[in-house]
Amino acid sequence: MNGVLRGQKLRFLTKREIETIHSATLEILRTVGIKVFSDKILKIFTEAGAETNSESKIVKIPEYLIKEALKKAPKKFILYGRNPKYNIIVDNKRIYFGLGGTPTPYFLDLESGEFRRPTKKDVAEVTRLGDALENISFIMTIAGAYDVPYEVQYLHEYEAIFNNTEKPIVYPAPGAEIAQYALSMASAVAGGEDELREKPFICLYSEPPPPLMMAETDENLIEYANHGVPIALGPTSMAGSTGPVTLAGAAVVSNAQSLAALTLIQTVNPSNPVFYACWVAATDPRTGRHAYGSPEFAFSTSVINSQMARYYELPCFGFAGCPDSNFPDAQAGAEAMMMTLMNTLSGVNLMHDCGYIAGGDAGSMEMAVICNEICGIALKIAKGIEVNDKTLALDVIREVGPGGHFLSHKHTLKFLESGEIYIPKLFNRISKEAWIKAGKKQIYEVARDVVRKILKEHSPKPLSPDVQQKLREIIKNAERKKITR
Amino acid sequence: MSENELLNQVAEAVLSFDENKVIEAVRIALKNGVSPIDIIEKGLTKGLRTVGDKFETGEFFLMHMVAAAEITKKAIDKILQPELSKSKTQRKALGKVVIGTVAGDIHDIGKNIVAAMLLSAGFEVYDLGKDVPAGEFVKKVREVDADVVALSALLSTTLPMQRVVIEALESSGLREKVKVIVGGAPVTKEWAEEIGADGYAENAIEAVNVLKRLLNLT
Repeated sequence: MNGVLRGQKLRFLTKREIETIHSATLEILRTVGIKVFSDKILKIFTEAGAETNSESKIVKIPEYLIKEALKKAPKKFILYGRNPKYNIIVDNKRIYFGLGGTPTPYFLDLESGEFRRPTKKDVAEVTRLGDALENISFIMTIAGAYDVPYEVQYLHEYEAIFNNTEKPIVYPAPGAEIAQYALSMASAVAGGEDELREKPFICLYSEPPPPLMMAETDENLIEYANHGVPIALGPTSMAGSTGPVTLAGAAVVSNAQSLAALTLIQTVNPSNPVFYACWVAATDPRTGRHAYGSPEFAFSTSVINSQMARYYELPCFGFAGCPDSNFPDAQAGAEAMMMTLMNTLSGVNLMHDCGYIAGGDAGSMEMAVICNEICGIALKIAKGIEVNDKTLALDVIREVGPGGHFLSHKHTLKFLESGEIYIPKLFNRISKEAWIKAGKKQIYEVARDVVRKILKEHSPKPLSPDVQQKLREIIKNAERKKITR
Repeated sequence: MSENELLNQVAEAVLSFDENKVIEAVRIALKNGVSPIDIIEKGLTKGLRTVGDKFETGEFFLMHMVAAAEITKKAIDKILQPELSKSKTQRKALGKVVIGTVAGDIHDIGKNIVAAMLLSAGFEVYDLGKDVPAGEFVKKVREVDADVVALSALLSTTLPMQRVVIEALESSGLREKVKVIVGGAPVTKEWAEEIGADGYAENAIEAVNVLKRLLNLT
């Protein structure tokens, strides 16, 4: 299935509207600029020809720099899996779903159904789950290693993920130092820095902080670009708090963040692969929370995001799953489907967050399995239909005639085999009598059984003992250096 | 106009969310002899309380809370505080809170909301902004004789800075004098206990309650 999936081109904005957002963004970057809290990044912008002020830390980026960066960024590239059958071919059509996102501070315990702090073991298990799910093509996380020293949390997470999947990995590594360690771990897995550059199996996930800022932690962009490793941008201005309340204006802020980061990356390493993104979340007016399940977030991450990306001829990064609901319930299902279907129908290339719940505060393995089904359904819809002699089946209609049936016809059997009718693996279509007899199981309970089965049965090819040892050594070194107390 | 009417005008101006109207109402009240303390406590704070009530019932949003708090703070800082300083009178706020996002972290929306809530609840708030070095917290605590230090962090990588600030307060001999509360997405009760903070709040409304509890105001 991998690599043949096509998204669609859901369109709401006119070409003129896209161009207006684009030129408004250029104007903001040129006249207002971005505030850069890193001397290293400031220096790169200065040398590239941007108007920088070391006092105010404001960088004003001229139009030509952005246009050059847009030209340099590759339109096509490959994100490799440790196993080549999982390679992700990035172009302007293919779409892929991913497990989770950045580490979640909480985790829905499979056995107790209660929230708790996730551990490194959970990171390993959710990775293994993602490795097994057929609609999941890349791995982020729905847990976090909160049982190790926080200074090296990310490194332990990388280790757990590297050891438990053969699929491509997209993951954060905030700050230059963590990035350097993560890159040396990835190099160890790839067989060297050159091998990593040649066939990157990891991609940095980076969220530049809105509005119009770059943090010291964004120095990881420089490290990854220097290693030729792909970078996925995730700028989210929140409408009504870190961006204007109007989606168009907030999109300008997010777009500015993306274009500024893209300019930095292409200055450091021309033609470094980048996933563009332009997201706008709603600030929930009652709680102030980043509303993941909002129609605004679904609309911006799909339609605005993909339309801007197509205008720039860049691949884009977006969302599947990620409900606000705190439990894998009806609300979670509705929110996940809205997001997944919108992004799929817009042709967003990489869609992440399957298995998130609670607005990203928690991960749920049950939700990941539910999302796997939702992704399958969204894909089936995106596929559309073919209209030709074979599918019109006039001969078959003639043959069966009025009052007959198509159940046993060869045409029916043949097309069933090729997937003409979507058959859910998880969602049930049994009668209510059968459902009552089977114990009235809620879908999250059915999903829970699936998780248990996968964790019992599935194990990806392990890394060589040699590489495993190297990873442990790198972490040990980092611990010695970073942990001073 | 009676003093009551003048104060009501101030309170009502807060509900307009219009800075000019609030400043105007405050100036008129001052000119007519209402004391700055009364303008704060019976005018501005009353307006803020109404906004808070309407937020609770769902009529107003978080954005209204922040807008009202920011305007009120401006009116106090620009006009009323100078008056108080001139007459050497002290406000009787619920307590003085020094708040900021710790060094290395430039996320401050959550902190701004907490600051607004605290101000609305009647605390005197000194907002140091974001990416604040430990030394700045210490300096401000000493300068204003603060009762509380509130530390925000969003990133798991900047979370350790909350501990650093607490240690800086300790080595400056100020730790015993102030309560420290911590917040931010990665913060938990366990973390707060581990680093020796006095309190932790899950959200802005809870932060107000925690502070009141810590200062024995409830």
